[in-house]
Amino acid sequence: MAKREKIEKLILFLILLAIGLFMVFPMVWMMLSSLKTTEEILGGSLTLLPSDPQWSNFPKALEMAPFLRFVWNSFFTASVIVIVQLFLSSLLAYALTQMEFKGRNTLFMIVLSTYMLPAAATYVPSYVIISRLGLMDSLAGIIVSNLANVFTIFLLRQNFLKVPKELIEAARADGASEWTILWKIVAPMSKNALINASILSFVLNFNNYLWPSLITNSEENYLISVGLNRFFNTQGAFEQTFPLIMAATVISVLPLLIIYFVLQKYFISAVSSSSGLKG
Amino acid sequence: MDKKANIWQLLFFVAIPLVPLLVFWIIPLFVSVWLSFTNWDYISPDYEYVGLSNYLNMLADEAFLQALGNTLLFAVGTVIPTIILGFIFAVMLSRLRRNVTFLQGLMFAPWITPMIGMSIVWSWMFDPRVGPVNQMLGFFGLPEPHWLTDSNFAIWAVIIVTVWKNTGWAMLFFSDALTKIPQSLFEVADIEGAGRWAKIRHILIPLVSPTTLFLFIILTLDALQAFDQINVLTQGGPSGSTRTLLYLYYELAFEQFNMGAATAVAVLILVISAILSFISMKISKKYVYY
Repeated sequence: MAKREKIEKLILFLILLAIGLFMVFPMVWMMLSSLKTTEEILGGSLTLLPSDPQWSNFPKALEMAPFLRFVWNSFFTASVIVIVQLFLSSLLAYALTQMEFKGRNTLFMIVLSTYMLPAAATYVPSYVIISRLGLMDSLAGIIVSNLANVFTIFLLRQNFLKVPKELIEAARADGASEWTILWKIVAPMSKNALINASILSFVLNFNNYLWPSLITNSEENYLISVGLNRFFNTQGAFEQTFPLIMAATVISVLPLLIIYFVLQKYFISAVSSSSGLKG
Repeated sequence: MDKKANIWQLLFFVAIPLVPLLVFWIIPLFVSVWLSFTNWDYISPDYEYVGLSNYLNMLADEAFLQALGNTLLFAVGTVIPTIILGFIFAVMLSRLRRNVTFLQGLMFAPWITPMIGMSIVWSWMFDPRVGPVNQMLGFFGLPEPHWLTDSNFAIWAVIIVTVWKNTGWAMLFFSDALTKIPQSLFEVADIEGAGRWAKIRHILIPLVSPTTLFLFIILTLDALQAFDQINVLTQGGPSGSTRTLLYLYYELAFEQFNMGAATAVAVLILVISAILSFISMKISKKYVYY
């Protein structure tokens, strides 16, 4: 019996491993292709491994467009957005859970109702607003227009509700200000929620494409996905540049992939935690 | 008792955080609705009110009706496989005790990659001459379609990429839901002599149904907003076969600068989303098992 179960588990493991490898196959194929020569790829043979790894594809790709600059832009804007989002959402979540004021529930309902609405519906007016603010084609424009994050507000509100009221009342009795209570008691107790919210928001903002592509048009302000897609659109039709496009794509995919494999545990718990937000 | 807030606290804790939400969400949503009743072209400062004519033109437009159909096909074609595969993978994983995190890590990896970059990779994987997809199909003697240039197959290529990217995400949600099922239920089922399929049908599927519903709504909303993969793989073509409502909106607004017609499409997407999220809130209040 125990032996049969062991064999069954082994088979199950092997099937799941095959599925898992299938899921990462496009990434593996991309990396291998980035090291091949054009001839090797166009030869159309089934060989997966490059016969002679062409590491020079990477400096060649970097010469054709400033990909490191694009990566930096993505990293910089996503970081600033995450920090400001956490700060603003903490304030609002604190007010929604620990302060009493008129219209608190109405306010929460209004915020809630925007939760699942498509961002694209805001693009035309937001485009005008960005240009009126003089933030067209700037990293500041990308940052400012992505500061609202209803999901983070929810996640924090839900966790702030779990902080025992007695703790907060005791702090108030000791004369602590609301500001102190938020940052010294409530926020530290919701550390996990803050980490989870930042991971999810960072991934989405790092990979963001459509909106940033609409409001930027000079190379120095491209996020990585924007720069990569422009490069692909100008070079993609030529099979000769295929390995270079793969090299450029590796540069765009690798930073997050490395962070992910190092901090995998946190990523998975971040997504699992967001499943608690049903309703 | 929560503390009664004074005016300065309200200003700081409530008003300031609401500024970005108002300026880039709530106000634009209302302005979009308003613009959908005008014929504004973005370039000129003048516009006229045209009543409902943007909506009426939309309904009579074949490109719109095609986009509506494509959106429906795309939504059904991505949401259902994502949920079914995510559930199956999660159930299989739940039977293992070791290596679970490692396997989850592999399956979830596509979700964190940028859709633009990976769509570029997929566009080459679908290449009829050098791509591994058709090499594999050819190896098994299956037909080798021209995925991205054949209007019968293009939308399926976009669907495959989308399912590939989201399945691991759905799997994590189901894994989380499965761990919350009380072990005692399985013990009772064992005493009753229930087989494996009976357990899946009568315990697992009903008890994860709130997650299934939640995923169904979120993935549908996500499908309504799909853009990056379409933009890279097919740009709405060939002959409009992958143009969804959102893609149509993008073309109308930012290629043709027909803001009235564009925002009319946006309002329609908005209404569909609002209905879906309203339903999800109503239903999820009713069926919470844990």
